[in-house]
Amino acid sequence: MSTKKSIQEEVEKTLNSLEGIQRASANPYLFTLIKARLESEERGFWSRALTYLSRPSVAVPAIVLTILINTAIFFELKSDKVPPPQDEEQAFAREYNLSDTTIYESTIEPE
Amino acid sequence: MVYNTALGILQNAEDAEDVTQEVFVQVFESIKTFKAESKLSTWLYRITVSKALDHLRRKKRKKRFAYIQSLFGAGGETIIEKPDFNHPGVALDNKERSAMLFRAIDRLPENQKIAFTLHKVEGLSYQEISDVMRTSVSSVESLMHRAKNNLKKLLQDHYQSKE
Repeated sequence: MSTKKSIQEEVEKTLNSLEGIQRASANPYLFTLIKARLESEERGFWSRALTYLSRPSVAVPAIVLTILINTAIFFELKSDKVPPPQDEEQAFAREYNLSDTTIYESTIEPE
Repeated sequence: MVYNTALGILQNAEDAEDVTQEVFVQVFESIKTFKAESKLSTWLYRITVSKALDHLRRKKRKKRFAYIQSLFGAGGETIIEKPDFNHPGVALDNKERSAMLFRAIDRLPENQKIAFTLHKVEGLSYQEISDVMRTSVSSVESLMHRAKNNLKKLLQDHYQSKE
């Protein structure tokens, strides 16, 4: 019984141990750290944008995405089966020997 | 005010300093959105409590992940038990008891921890706590009642185990 009573007393004393507690004061350098951090937050838009883009979590996916888009476009162009019109013209000219005209081959007869 | 509140919730000076910095950066960024519907101090307390809780949850997640890693023999850092916290503002003759009390406070549910810390460490009234926590005074009274009961139970278990 006395043990129980003494435990109750101890519990009460412990619960009241924060009576009269004073506010803790921070490290004096904390203010300097906060000031430096706020000043860095004040930098201009482009500076912040570059800082953001240079983060690995942003830069790496951006590079991967660029490579993927370039690869997709490359394969898209390669798989295009219709030759461009210029190639058709050159093929026609070659077939009928119209491609090369030199001064020796041209036979313009004076009127 | 900010540092003392963070210290009471986090029970670690370095963590409290980190959170204090985050609070002031947040205030700097969002001061324009402050509509003066509540007092500036209330707003500051809200941000501090929110940042402190975020910090606590991040730490718990890391601890849980480290524990899971250790189960699979991933050989991470040894989980060291938190040392007793001594609040610098507590009188010398109450240091040991207050360290025990803070250990018990650390085991309370979040809302009870916040209400108890704001009342006992920061000295806020129930009305002020209800403004910070955006709840009613009766809810704060209920939280304090449950916090005290839980603390009594934890401390009783501790003292009984010592017998």
